[in-house]
This record gives sequence, C-alpha cells and structure tokens, in this order.
Amino acid sequence: MNQEQTTGHLPRRPGRRPLVERTERETVGQTAVENPRMSCQNVGVFYDSKKAISNICLDIGRNEVIAMIGPSGCGKSTFLRCLNRMNDTIEGCLVTGQILMDGKNIYDSDVDVVPLRAQVGMVFQKPNPFPKSIYDNIAYGARIHGLVQNRDETDELVVGSLKRAGLWNEVKDRLEMPGTSLSGGQQQRLCIARAIAVNPEVILMDEPCSSLDPIATAIIEELIDELKQDYTIAIVTHSMQQASRISQRTAYFHQGDLIEIGPTDQIFLNPLHQLTEDYITGRFG
Amino acid sequence: MYNLKELNNAQGRVRTIDIVKKGLNRRYRKERRFRIFGCAAVIISLSFLSLLFISIISNGYTAFLQTMVRLDVFLDTRVIDKDNLADANYSKLIHEALLSVYPDVTKHNDRRKLYGLVSTSAAYRLRTFVAKNRHDIGTRIQIWVPADDDVDMLMKGYIDRDTPESQRRIDDRQLAWVDQLVRQGQIKKVFNMTFFTAGDSREPELAGICGALFGSFYTLIVTLVLSFPIGGAAAVYLEEFAPKNRWTDIIEVNINNLAAVPSIVFGLLGLAVFLNFFGLPRSVPLVGGLVLTLMTLPTIIIASRSALKAVPSSIREAGLGIGASKVQMVAHHVLPQALPGMLTGTIIGMSQALGETAPLLMIGMVAFIVDIPSGFTDPSTVLPVQIYLWADSPERAFLEKTSAAIMVLLVFLMVMNGVAIFLRKRFEKRH
Repeated sequence: MNQEQTTGHLPRRPGRRPLVERTERETVGQTAVENPRMSCQNVGVFYDSKKAISNICLDIGRNEVIAMIGPSGCGKSTFLRCLNRMNDTIEGCLVTGQILMDGKNIYDSDVDVVPLRAQVGMVFQKPNPFPKSIYDNIAYGARIHGLVQNRDETDELVVGSLKRAGLWNEVKDRLEMPGTSLSGGQQQRLCIARAIAVNPEVILMDEPCSSLDPIATAIIEELIDELKQDYTIAIVTHSMQQASRISQRTAYFHQGDLIEIGPTDQIFLNPLHQLTEDYITGRFG
Repeated sequence: MYNLKELNNAQGRVRTIDIVKKGLNRRYRKERRFRIFGCAAVIISLSFLSLLFISIISNGYTAFLQTMVRLDVFLDTRVIDKDNLADANYSKLIHEALLSVYPDVTKHNDRRKLYGLVSTSAAYRLRTFVAKNRHDIGTRIQIWVPADDDVDMLMKGYIDRDTPESQRRIDDRQLAWVDQLVRQGQIKKVFNMTFFTAGDSREPELAGICGALFGSFYTLIVTLVLSFPIGGAAAVYLEEFAPKNRWTDIIEVNINNLAAVPSIVFGLLGLAVFLNFFGLPRSVPLVGGLVLTLMTLPTIIIASRSALKAVPSSIREAGLGIGASKVQMVAHHVLPQALPGMLTGTIIGMSQALGETAPLLMIGMVAFIVDIPSGFTDPSTVLPVQIYLWADSPERAFLEKTSAAIMVLLVFLMVMNGVAIFLRKRFEKRH
C-alpha cells in the first residue's frame, strides 16, 4: 500500500476554522436535537470496572439514520447495545448515566426489558437467523408479543415484512426452508425483516454489512434508506463510505469517548476535531 | 540445518519455495507415521472388542438351546383324579415313564440316578399338559420335558467322556442311558424359551433372564424419569440463569467431583438415606433407580452444560434482541439446539446406570429372586447383578447362562442407544 495515499490529508478548504487538538476529549458538535426519539445523558459502561465508554451525551432524532463510526474497540458497539439494554446479558457489565425514551430512563429499575426490546429492535453484525423456517423466523417475535391472533394475520405479517425487507421475491416459494439455508446477504435481510416484523420504533444495526459482499450491501443500504421513513435507525459501521451514503448524522467515537457529532456531510468534508480528521482521512483506524 | 549456499540461486538469494520443498518429505513422513499410529490404535481396540464378542458369543450361544427328552407317559387314572388335578403325583408318572424305558433298573440308588436324567420341572410340564388335555387322561401320551442340566451339558459337548468316572458329573451308567435315548431319537435340542420367560432358579435348566430384564427395565425407567428432568433443569439453570459467582463455582466443582465418586459410595448413601432413613423396601427397582439417579446426575449435568455452552451466543442475542424473555429465549431457541447433546449425555449416563452393579448390591438387589417383578416396588434384581450371581454359581451350566446374560445386556444396551440415537436424529432434522 502506498504510504502517501493512506496518510494523505484532504485539502483544507479556505477559510476553515482551526481543528480541535487531538488531546481534547470533549464532544464537539451539536449533541442535542429537537424532539429526540432517545436521549442519552452521561452514559458510561464498565466491564468489570474496566471503562469501555464514558460520559456520552447524544440525542437520537426521529426518523433519522445516525451512523456511528470509529476505530475498533472505540466503544461504538457498546454504546449501541446500551440503547436496548443488550449489555444486560453480559456478565459484569455496568451502565451509568441515563438514556431517556419517551421521558423515561430505560435503565430505571421498574423498566421491563422485554417491551423495551420490542420497541428498540436490533440487527446484529453476523446474520443470526433462528434455526427455524423462514416463516417462523419472522413470525416468532410477533407471536411472543401477541401481535398476531391467527394464521391469516401471521401470514399477512410475514409476507409484509419480507416484502419490506426486499426478500419476498427470493423466498416466496420456500418459506418452510430453514432460515440458515439462505445466503449471507439474504440472511441479514431476513434478520432485518424479523426486526421490523414486531414494528419497533428504533432499529439498532451493529455493522450489518460487515460480512456481506458489495451487492448485498447495496441492497441493504437501499433498504435502510426506505426504512428511515418509518423508523429511527442507529447504525454502527466500519465503512465510512456507507456512513456517508446512508446517514443524516454521524458520530465519531474514539477510545470510549464521543469525539464529534454532526451532520454527515460536515463530518466527512469539514470535521472540527483533529482525531476525526485523522480517522476519515485514513491516518489510522 | 539447511545448506543455504546450496539453496542460493543465480541472484544469490534464498528462495522460500526451495526451503519449503526441502522440508516437504519430512513433513509427509511425519503425517504418514501419525496415520499409521492412528490406524493401529483403531485396529487394536477393534480387535479387543471382537475378542470380547467372540469369547462371549462362543461361550454363550448354547444357552439359547435346551436339551429335551421325550417320554411316553401313561396318564394313569389311579394317579390322576379328574376332579382334583392339582394334587396328583406327576413325578411318579414321570418316574414310571423313565422306568418303562429302562426296566432293568431296580436298585434304589440307580433309580434316583435315572430319575435325575430329566429336570425336576418335568412334573410341572406334565401337570400343565394334563390341565390342557383332560380327555387324554387314561391314555398313553408323548411329552417332551427338559433334560437335567448335566445331561444338557453332555449333549452340548461340555462334558468330556474321557475323564475318569469319579471326576465326571455323569457316571458311566447314566452315559449309557443317555446314549440309548439318543439312539431311540428321544433327545433333541430346541430353542430355550425358558431362558427368556423365567426368573432366576437354582436349577440351571429352569433359570431365566426375564426377572433381571424386567428389574433393569423398571430401574432404568425410574432413573430416566428422575435424572433427565432434574439434570437438565440443573444444567439449564446453572448455565443460563445462575449468576457467575463463588457459589456457582463451588457447585460446579462439586458436581465434577461427584462424577468421579466410586459408585459403591452412592450405594452406601442409598442404603443410609432411602432404606434406613426413609424406610423404603429393600431390593426394589424404585430404590435402585433412586440410587442410580444420584450416580447419573453429575454425568447428565456436565454433558448438558457443555451442550448448552455449545449453542452459539448469537442465537441467544437474536432471541433477546427481538424481545423474548429469558425463559422464552432458553425454551424456544437454546434448548432445542442443545437437546441432541443433552440426550447424548443422558444416553451415556443411562448406559452407565444399566451396567452398574456395586451400588445395587448395597441396597439388596443382589438377592436371589425367582419371581418376575411386576412393578416398581417388587423385589427384583438387574442384569449386571444377575450376571454376577450366575458367574458365581458352581454349576457348569451357569457358565453359558452368564455369557448369554451378557449378550442380553449388550442387546438391551444397543436397543437403548439405538432408540436414543433415533430420537436425536429426528430432533436434529427438525431444526
């Protein structure tokens, strides 16, 4: 790899403000939005007293796609998993601070995680369909939440979810086949269909395209673009191109800190923080 | 060490491929050697196994045959009262039938030897026959009765005619009588149904495996019904729900220790707890099953836990991520995936339980029990204990019975494992 390419700077646009120093760890940019869907205040996560992320303040707006980028181990996935309390399943994980949803802290002791996770769905990095039929994969969530009463409603839901996930045409003849028999990209779309089948309000996506080829990635990106009309989507991605293509706002994480948050265009064209610029220009990460 | 100079090419640089090629032969030799070791190990273990099978089958197959003697019995109306069949002296009729074949036997001692040619069960056979064929009373009938075990052994070739008479179980006169019976076609070997339908007996020709078979069956039912749910539930709780702290660590260590405790200790525990403290009856499958449950639990728990551990965590996350509660996640997604592995563990545990002898000795299942148990609280014995009992018996005929019982035990084991593998395959297919 040519060294100059990987560390080369973007040409600074004239009249640009000086960058914030690398040592500065306060969040740069507008963290708050009007009428947020979820609002995180001073969120910190510790794994057995080892700090993973700290002091994150970030609002997630309605019907927006917010991308989280950053080098490996920067805490972006950890932060994402806080939003539907998936970190609860990890032994020795402690979450501090507040995450407000509809004015209620989801980490309050009286909050039930089961309805929370129905409200805030998740798509994981590795496609993880249940080892059941395609049909049952989609129907499962709705069944346990009692969203469907009979077979007709279930059929309708399954077909609708698969259509919205753009998978219907590929699987309509083999709904009884196991979900694991699909290709990687189809499996991931099945997982998205499964997530939207319970009609969540927020969908969290943890590097949903990292194991997919470019064509499957393009299909899923298109899908995300359509879904944002109805859902709020928070997506963690390693691909800066992907973040710039699909998101309205982008958050840059670095070593457990939220370094910079802003409109996607600004982050990629005119970052305010030196660390952000280092990352998007490929100086590291 | 490589001669680098030799490897140098025209440019004076060592090419990696040359070094790789130089070492290739050595690597392949190593691989071949390893394969040979592996094959040898498999062959050795297979040959020991076949040795075991050959010796057991060659010793035991004759137990499935029984020598029968044909007697012409005159159903004397003076001996049999038509209205009171049960009280008739059937032995006398058998003895008379034998005497009619050998009228020259007159001395009391010789007569006793003559009567000893047929099994004591001959009289019962005759009684059963008469009860079924009342109209034959007063006529002469032909009936096949089991031969005595010594005659049986002689016919199966286990008694050497060349040994001195004093050391032989059958003396020269008896030999002559038997030879005469053979010449007259009054002796034949038939399939030994008694072996599969009777309980234990002091007389080898009357002893059967059925009692022990049912004893084992009832004992294993108790063991299965108790150990699989308890073991499975314990494993699921420890693996999926319990917090990981010092207490669960202690529990885990102790479960692993329990798996290594000698089985006789479980027998003593069962004796102290179930018999002495709870006052349950001795020698019954219920207590045997309880004791074997104690013994099998650690195996099942350990196997089930590793089966649960092997379920990828992505499945758990998928379940939780869609909003399933923890119990739903475990019941709907983790357990179906882990069940084949849990079943395998249970099979191993049950196979151990089937072959276990020592703990059952302590709770009295070693008793000599003739009746076939008809329930969980009937005194009974089990297959391995029956094998132990027969192997301990002095009669030559019990030797073949021992091997035959081992065969029955192995078949029982194979059937059990076959059913479990069938269930597991079906379960794997569904997912």
